[in-house]
Amino acid sequence: MRRIVAQTRKELTQIVRDWRTLALALILPIVLLLLMSTAISLTVNDLPVVVQDFDDSSASHDFIDAMRASITLHVVSWPVNKSAEQALVANAARAVVIIPAHFGRDIARGVNSPVQLLVDASDANTAKLISGYATQITTAYNRQTAGATQAGPVQTAVRLWYNPGLSSKKFYGPGVFVLGISMFPPLLAALAMAKEGEHKTILQVYVSSISAHEFLLGKIIAFMAVALAECFVMCLLLFTYFGLRFAGDPTPFLIATILYAFCVASFGTMVGATIPNQAASMQAVALGGFLLVFLLSGLIFPIENIPAGLRWISNFIWGRYYIEIVRDALLQGGGWPAVWFKVLIVGVIGTTFYGIAWRGMRKMQVKV
Amino acid sequence: MKRLLQFLFNYRLLALIKKEFNQIRRDRRLAISLILPPVVQLTLFGFALSANVTNIRLGLVDDSRSPESRELIATLTESKSFRLAGYYFSVNELGDAVSRGNVDAGVVVPYDYARDLARDRPTTVQFLLNAMNANTATISRAYAEGVIQSYNTGLRGKGIRVQTFSGMDLARRGQVQLQPAFLYNPGLVDSWFIVTGVFGLLLILNSSLVSSAAMVREREAGTIEQLLMSPASTSEIIIAKITPLFILLCMMMLVAIAVLKLAFDVPFQGNILFLLLGGALCILSGISIGTVIATFSKSAQQAQLTSFFVNPPLSSLSGALNPVEAMPKWLQPVTVLNPIHHFATIVRGSTLKGSGFMDLWPNFLGLLIFTIILVSLSVWRFRKQLS
Repeated sequence: MRRIVAQTRKELTQIVRDWRTLALALILPIVLLLLMSTAISLTVNDLPVVVQDFDDSSASHDFIDAMRASITLHVVSWPVNKSAEQALVANAARAVVIIPAHFGRDIARGVNSPVQLLVDASDANTAKLISGYATQITTAYNRQTAGATQAGPVQTAVRLWYNPGLSSKKFYGPGVFVLGISMFPPLLAALAMAKEGEHKTILQVYVSSISAHEFLLGKIIAFMAVALAECFVMCLLLFTYFGLRFAGDPTPFLIATILYAFCVASFGTMVGATIPNQAASMQAVALGGFLLVFLLSGLIFPIENIPAGLRWISNFIWGRYYIEIVRDALLQGGGWPAVWFKVLIVGVIGTTFYGIAWRGMRKMQVKV
Repeated sequence: MKRLLQFLFNYRLLALIKKEFNQIRRDRRLAISLILPPVVQLTLFGFALSANVTNIRLGLVDDSRSPESRELIATLTESKSFRLAGYYFSVNELGDAVSRGNVDAGVVVPYDYARDLARDRPTTVQFLLNAMNANTATISRAYAEGVIQSYNTGLRGKGIRVQTFSGMDLARRGQVQLQPAFLYNPGLVDSWFIVTGVFGLLLILNSSLVSSAAMVREREAGTIEQLLMSPASTSEIIIAKITPLFILLCMMMLVAIAVLKLAFDVPFQGNILFLLLGGALCILSGISIGTVIATFSKSAQQAQLTSFFVNPPLSSLSGALNPVEAMPKWLQPVTVLNPIHHFATIVRGSTLKGSGFMDLWPNFLGLLIFTIILVSLSVWRFRKQLS
């Protein structure tokens, strides 16, 4: 036990003495959380839209005012002598609304009038959002002008659960939080372990009285401490800037966090033990910690969207389970019945990493 | 002019360039890192990141249990957007299923649904959406409302219409019918937006990674002293270092363009020259970023660590993976300072939209200014380090 503590203290001292690693451990996660959560958000506000009004009647002005009143679209001016599509090509607008001549007359006579919406679909997702918003505005406009006469027999009442304000910050915040923990602690752990191999200090460890398990546990506990410190700092941010609260029982989250810290620290140590080269092990962590967790854990888009040929890999991505646990704790509040299995898997994957790290360490001596 | 040419093509410079080429050729890891990332990253990002909202798992509480309600459910689930995932007997059960994550959305059909329809009274169907993911929720809400709207039109055709006593047919007003048309990507292929953005990320990040490794190597091995002792001037050393990297990275760009074309079938509507020109500028600024990073580091490992401080902000504030409008208002102007943003606009303009130079010149100007600033910064830093 004493030897484990000594090993842990040695690792922590090593981190604190290099400004790069210290900043990497504590400042970068916060920067990442602030930047990334906005950078991957897809919910758009204030999209520029050009309106071409060939009617110029009071009815068409009413309709344009309805568009103007929405916070999602904002009407920008566009010279009448230029074609509307030009605005899309020049990136001046995301969509063009074209109101035909006789619009007002048709409406007054009870004839339906077609209004064209040209959407720049080079960004398919935003295009879908724009067309959805514009349809909603039009429906509301129709309902308002026509009264109940025109309203369809079946109406929808949509209730948005868990995130009624549709704030994407609340969805991506927890995801990026997991990404940060999946990336920086293992990076530091891999560097520290590979350094032992590269500088051949591992030989000193072999001749000392410390056992392989004590050595590994000492290292892992040190990086678990780093991970938990990061976790604490980022949680502060989540609870203040992101406005999140525990939605239900916080115990699954707390236990899963400790297990996940163990999991990522073991992952880093495993990489460092099997690839005793600092630059190469850093790339391996960037691949495993960043790319796989970023792409295959449902961080941005639902996992079901990944083609089946790649989707099976996400079953092995440790970040995926932790993201689901964190989102459940902070947004849904399903508690133990919803996530016990995921907590278990995080533990199992962590233990597997530990096992491989232990085997890798035994071989390290031969490599060095 | 003649002196410039003389300067550019003297034997010393050619010899230095040859030396760098040889060095890169013998470094197999560098060669691999030039070919592998464009192929792997583009395909991974392009296939794995898809914002498509399909197969939303729908839980159903049907209190009406009538042919009419079943028809409504059939209309909802016949599209690819919704998939029936379970029947529940009460709203509470449905709520539990949503919170456990068994279903993504729920529909509650009221018990008097069929009766109201038969009596020409408006009736309300409730949709419960798990709105954790704001984007998916917004899109699925639009789907649900769209389906109900077309269902209503169908009902009207059958003669069911809500009667009210105030509105007579004389006072009937026409309706606005919105007809959306999706330009440049009528099939709404998601991957086109992602891969065109990742292309820019790839060029800058990979160039900076490769160049910082190449620049720092000389210093790590201690051979930089030998270079300084040679009669070559600092500018010659820099040009000799950059030229082979630039040529190799341009080849990487061609590989990436081939992947865009072959694997993702991205249309090339505009002039491919814009793409190549923008890409070349992007590579140059990437190389400069890498050089600046290298001058702050003593070893390859330090350079890599330092790049962790530069790359995340650079890539996340670029609008490469998401629309700029999704960022907070105060951050949006910052993207103007980001070469990746300009390049992404150029790529999307010249491939998907077929924009001309008149539309893209501000982005070219921005990219050019950045490249010049970054190149001069890196030359200044490198010189300072040498002397």
